[in-house]
Amino acid sequence: MTMLSRVAERLYWMARYLERAENTARLTNAYTHLIMDLPRDTQVGWEVLIQMLDAEPVYTKRYRVFNEQNVLRFLIADQENASSISNSVRAARENVRTTRDVLPEETWEHVNELFIYTQETAEKSIGRRHRYEFLEQIISRCQMVNGLLMTTLFREHSHRFIKLGHLLERADMSTRIIDVGAGAILGRAETNQAIDPLLWGSMLKSLSAMSAYRHKIGPLVEPNAVVNFIFKEARLPRTVYFCLTGILEELQPLSNNGDAIQIVESALQKLTRFDAENMTLAQLHQFIDQLQISLNQLDDAINTAWFLPMQS
Amino acid sequence: MNKTWQGYNSSLFYDELLTSSGNPRTAARGMINFLQRLPEEEINERRSAAELAIRDMGISFTVYTEGGNIDRNWPFDIIPRTITAKEWSKISLGLQQRTRALNCFIDDIYNKQRILADQLMPADIVLESTNYKPQCAGVSPRYGAWAHICGSDLVRNSNGKFYVLEDNLRVPSGVSYMLENREITKRVLPELFENYSIQPVDDYPSKLYQTLASLSPRETRKPCIAVLTPGIYNSAYFEHAFLAQSMGAELVEGSDLHTGDDDCVYMRTVDGPVKVDVVYRRIDEDFIDPEAFRKDSMLGVPGIMRAWKAGNVAIANAPGSGVADDKVIYAYVPDMIRYYLKQEPLIDSVKTYLCMIEKDREYVLANLDKLVVKPANESGGYGIMVGPHASAQTRREFAALIENNPRNYIAQPTLSLSTAPTYIDHTVEPRHLDLRPFILQGKDTWVTPGGLTRVAMTKGSLVVNSSQGGGSKDTWIVEGN
Repeated sequence: MTMLSRVAERLYWMARYLERAENTARLTNAYTHLIMDLPRDTQVGWEVLIQMLDAEPVYTKRYRVFNEQNVLRFLIADQENASSISNSVRAARENVRTTRDVLPEETWEHVNELFIYTQETAEKSIGRRHRYEFLEQIISRCQMVNGLLMTTLFREHSHRFIKLGHLLERADMSTRIIDVGAGAILGRAETNQAIDPLLWGSMLKSLSAMSAYRHKIGPLVEPNAVVNFIFKEARLPRTVYFCLTGILEELQPLSNNGDAIQIVESALQKLTRFDAENMTLAQLHQFIDQLQISLNQLDDAINTAWFLPMQS
Repeated sequence: MNKTWQGYNSSLFYDELLTSSGNPRTAARGMINFLQRLPEEEINERRSAAELAIRDMGISFTVYTEGGNIDRNWPFDIIPRTITAKEWSKISLGLQQRTRALNCFIDDIYNKQRILADQLMPADIVLESTNYKPQCAGVSPRYGAWAHICGSDLVRNSNGKFYVLEDNLRVPSGVSYMLENREITKRVLPELFENYSIQPVDDYPSKLYQTLASLSPRETRKPCIAVLTPGIYNSAYFEHAFLAQSMGAELVEGSDLHTGDDDCVYMRTVDGPVKVDVVYRRIDEDFIDPEAFRKDSMLGVPGIMRAWKAGNVAIANAPGSGVADDKVIYAYVPDMIRYYLKQEPLIDSVKTYLCMIEKDREYVLANLDKLVVKPANESGGYGIMVGPHASAQTRREFAALIENNPRNYIAQPTLSLSTAPTYIDHTVEPRHLDLRPFILQGKDTWVTPGGLTRVAMTKGSLVVNSSQGGGSKDTWIVEGN
């Protein structure tokens, strides 16, 4: 079956924005829970969330202080933040609106409802009282759309580009979470035996990986094991390894796929050799930087191979 | 009877659902009895359910305003409009006849021009019309069909008779709303479908697909059909997407297509270029090909006219079809039916005065307070003057417009459009309506059972266009008695 380049591109971005909205909600939720557990004088602040999303430049243009109110407004409802939940949902909807003809009929209805819900609720969900419910709603509504696509979408190009978008965005988010999470925890002057396991635990929770971790590794949340787990576990859908192998699988049947495959294979090789045990924090950071660069290159390669108008 | 119906007056105009003495007409009886027995709160619940369904289904249309484009929810009234199958079958035949004659006319105009040679109408009103496209001369599309999708507007006058008010042959829209209206009615008034035999409308997309597929220049089992849209900001984008999806066709924008050196049209896909057989264009022909028409068009496909003339791609509706979609040409349709088909028209047209003809113009200028004046070349209800409702000032303005450009104006007697019960706030009131059926013309001719009923929601208003505050109703063609 044929797939227009323009449509492929919009599906890919629909998936990325949906995934981004869901991930931002997960991250925010896990972090809110964590903060409530921490003693008041710990050095962990809300700016970590902004760092994870690489959003300091946009943030500091809008706000002076990194307090809860500002950070949450920025992440949930800020119109100036292109990746706020509210804007991600809007962008996802816009992409569905222009591709409804290739998606299962109910997709538009669900995404549109998600959009209406977000428009009506985002602004008043910044405070702690309504935040949890809002974030849970965002997560479950995004999952409903994903579930709908997974159970009804015809397995052809449309499914392929949606999956590529989801996996790439997810890999991107997982690496960010480790990068900043590890930096924030390990980079502090002294370790805190009481708090650190909570921080690592919240990282796992934001990836819905806590119970899988306990099951596979054990009940003790230990930094290197967590990092290795989130990077390399092959059977858990939110790990970087899982996302990259999934991407590879989707790239294989496409024509013109040489560049993209090469980037993914080389990233997978590096990942296989990776072990957090032998690394300093600086090395870990450098490794993650490289991985982020690969993900950006992959996005470029996908763009060049399938989305840009061909010369006629 | 719940109190929302109290005080309903069906005697002022012809009412679609009730006789002048207030009794339900045959086709409407079961439905009206049901609605009148529903408690008021339940009516309200169902009306809210309909609004919710429209919102959730994202059935919207775009209104252009100075402050930007607004996406509005589709205005819908839950009370269906009914017509008996017996009455409809006659109308359906009349519409087929009309569409065939219009296609004969277009084909004739771009080829032999027999009708002009035989002086049935002045040649200049055709050839000097902006809707006549010399670029199309000499082309003979398959089956002589140019206007493959026609949306004709019907109204019923106080005498209970249907008239064709106009034929939309360029890019008629509204059919998706007809389908969605039925979908909503099934959701909110499901009980009614148990005891009624209502002709289904949902096979429109497959009929449209068959019509378009029959035009394919390539003999192939599954021709490649593309719906060409101007894009998301067009007021009918919702419909373009809807139709593409329900036909399994590609929804393309101009930039997705290109014309190759072989004069074939291709679309850009992730697997490389794919040849397109049929383009269902939903952009105005002036924008379809910057090589042939407007050079500044960013929406079109350079070279598509070349490909069409070479017979490598079919375009529906064919460029140039608009030549018959002109309110001056409209006046000659009954003559066309007699001339091309040797038949008498089965549906009447409305008496039309052509301001370009001196005798007609004098009559129009002397009777502006009784007539509806329309520009020959506008759609969407723009630029119309309804004489009896217009101020003296407006009438003077129109008199000047007519004298300056008589070719561009026609006038018709003000019809007493029929009404139907419509929910306005918490009561049922009569509102004027029209009906737009869709006629498909390819290898075969086919008419939608019913069509899109549009309602003027403002009391006394005759303007039904959704861009000007019109609403809509589900339309039932009811079998049996």
